[in-house]
Amino acid sequence: MADTPAAGSAPPGLVAGQFRVDFVAPLRDAGGGVEAFAAHDEQHSGAALMALRLGRFAPARERPITLLAGLNIPGLLLPLAHGVAALPDGTECGVVICQAPPGPSLAAAPRAWSEAELLASVLKPAALALDALAARGLTHRALRPDNIFRAGPGEAVVLGAAWAAPPASHQNAVFEPPYVAACRPAGRGEGSIADDIYALGVTLLTLALGHPPLAGLDEGAVIQRKLGLGSYAALIGEARLPGLLSDLLRGMLAEDPAHRPPPQALLDPSAARSRRVAARPPRRAQRPLMIAGQSIWEARTLAHALFRHPEEGVRLVRSLHLDHWLRRSLGDAALTSRVDEVVRQRGEQPPDDRRADATMVLRLVALLDPLAPLAWRGLALWPDGLGPLLAVSLGEGGELAGRLEEIIDSEAVAAWAQARAEHCAAPALRQGAQQQRLWLRRGGPSGGLARVCYALNPLLPCASPLLAGKVVARLADLLPALEATAQHPERRQGLPLDAPIAAFIAARQDGRPGGERGGAASDGVEIESLRLLARLQESFAAPPLPGLAAWLAEQMGPAIDTWNHRGRRAELAEHLRRLARTGQLPLLLALLDNPDTRAADAQGLKQARAALDRINSERARLAANARARRALATTLGHEIALGIGMTALAASLGWMVLG
Amino acid sequence: MKAVGRPARGAKSPGAGGGAAPRRSLVWLQGLACGALATLATPLAALLAVLLLPGFLVLLIDRVPGKPVARAMLLCGAAASVAPARQLWDHGLSMDNSLDLIANMLVVSGAWAAAAAGWLLAELAPVVVLLVLEATTRRRLAELRGARARLAADWGLAAAEDDPGPG
Repeated sequence: MADTPAAGSAPPGLVAGQFRVDFVAPLRDAGGGVEAFAAHDEQHSGAALMALRLGRFAPARERPITLLAGLNIPGLLLPLAHGVAALPDGTECGVVICQAPPGPSLAAAPRAWSEAELLASVLKPAALALDALAARGLTHRALRPDNIFRAGPGEAVVLGAAWAAPPASHQNAVFEPPYVAACRPAGRGEGSIADDIYALGVTLLTLALGHPPLAGLDEGAVIQRKLGLGSYAALIGEARLPGLLSDLLRGMLAEDPAHRPPPQALLDPSAARSRRVAARPPRRAQRPLMIAGQSIWEARTLAHALFRHPEEGVRLVRSLHLDHWLRRSLGDAALTSRVDEVVRQRGEQPPDDRRADATMVLRLVALLDPLAPLAWRGLALWPDGLGPLLAVSLGEGGELAGRLEEIIDSEAVAAWAQARAEHCAAPALRQGAQQQRLWLRRGGPSGGLARVCYALNPLLPCASPLLAGKVVARLADLLPALEATAQHPERRQGLPLDAPIAAFIAARQDGRPGGERGGAASDGVEIESLRLLARLQESFAAPPLPGLAAWLAEQMGPAIDTWNHRGRRAELAEHLRRLARTGQLPLLLALLDNPDTRAADAQGLKQARAALDRINSERARLAANARARRALATTLGHEIALGIGMTALAASLGWMVLG
Repeated sequence: MKAVGRPARGAKSPGAGGGAAPRRSLVWLQGLACGALATLATPLAALLAVLLLPGFLVLLIDRVPGKPVARAMLLCGAAASVAPARQLWDHGLSMDNSLDLIANMLVVSGAWAAAAAGWLLAELAPVVVLLVLEATTRRRLAELRGARARLAADWGLAAAEDDPGPG
């Protein structure tokens, strides 16, 4: 996989040092919902390429991009590289270089396809490509007629690119299972290959009909219809399909992903037709339960209603209507006892605890419909869609960010997984939820929601305004970008390390030596920032950064002021200015973060305080001794007078005797 | 421990008795000497009594322990009385000669002037010593103030309280 090279080592204007993007040549309808532009391989001429432009808060899919690099999978537009490209206006954007479609999409000229053509030209090549993805633990998640291409009549189709946006984020609700369509587009998660089988089934149906099914219905109505009737019945409606295709679609559109045929099975449609997994019809209540004007007859639709109207669900629980309906109308004793247990656990929390209410509804939804996604106060997502949804929340902020923070802080994913443990890897999800909560609760700028966001989105660029339009998705690109910013003195406001950059560094450094803060707890934010950036320069062997060093030196005033000796402060500031010219951040750090000189400074202060105490006590003593001094002066004066008198007498006597 | 650290109330200090006894014996000896002088050499005693009269008067009114002013006056007066006493001795130790000298204003005023000089000395010497001590104290305070200002400037220590005067 070609990756973004460090700034300065790649030829300018090339992505990954190899691909040139032609932003004046857009490719319409080629990117599967993402802006696409023509691209050229500067080193090898060959297949047509395109560059998919990444959204600011729509991270590319790291696993597929990494695992599919250098592979040759027929029937799939593979990613070749990702990196940063310069736009004509001088700003930058992230791009994914990808094979270009061989022809128009299947939606370009709508018509009703024959069964034979569907099986030979669409189903088999698509199943082959999906099988290759499934073998690598990957999914496509963007299968729909306008993202499937064909070179010409009779040719096998090629699945479009799906790597430059969160999985299924551009999918219409019709092409996704209702449990996925109910989620926020960015929160649909990688899912499983069974979700691709579902989308392929809807695509086959669309082509067979010559038009999309359920056209004219909004997304909510589509989901409601699928949940109420089942996807197959809701999508097929009154249409008449050939027998083989009808049987295939019945399996491919099954509600339970486990009941859908794997891609391998679809390579032989006749065999796949005979593979039928009987799904137990849902238990229907004797009387409906009314929620927000909607009649609820089954547990599945009840789960969906509770997700959409959580406050109504809480009211039903408190009024015991839900318990009565489950016990008497639905008559599912096992389900009722599990629901009772959830309600009992809620009773152990304070009545006005909204988060406990949300957790209760989340558990109820998971119990009532184990196939449903995680539902938290009207927000639905799959746990593996948490990362992309967090990235969206970076741009949106507000309510979405608040709810996601609640989900992480209350380890809602663990509670959801525990409630439907037979349908997911609950221990792994619980462990992940605990780790995310640790990141969230970590103090300082290296924790919080941004830290979780960057940790879960390895290709998400840093959102710091200090980077001034530079796209920095890799740690190695951070220092050159900051150095570029430092070349503009008017942008050097505050420290060159704000909260987004701190969270970005912390997330990208996980697992590296020195990934966490290593200084004393008393270190100020200036020293901590300098330490982080100095370690980056060391670990990436970055070239000298005189601009960034000067920027840091300008901001080290508070750190210098922590030294006690005033004269030493002035010397440090001057020394720092001289060292900044070398561009070596570790030298700056060594000057300010030297334990020996720090200890000497502290010792000097201690001695100065002792000397000051001595001076003050002596001054106080001198002030208090005035009376004693006067008494001493009197005594001494009198002694002197007596001495003089004695001397005079002795002299007089001596003169008398001697002379 | 109590007996060692501090004498019990009412007990005599070991030094008190020892100090008072020699002083009393000295006074007794002085009285004996004065008595002997008055008996054996009455003219000389009369002459000295007149010449040292200011000192004796101050000795009566001086309330300062040790009577330093009176002692200084007596010493100075005695120094000025040595010459008249020798003159009396040389001209014969008679009462007439003693009265002649007493009547000589120059002799008496010289002795009294010496006593006055002793008084002035006893009064001025403490003032001069106090001035010297205060000057020394002020100089030391100035040194300390300078050292404190340097410490405050070098280490950012809070400036100390207002400068106390020398008292």
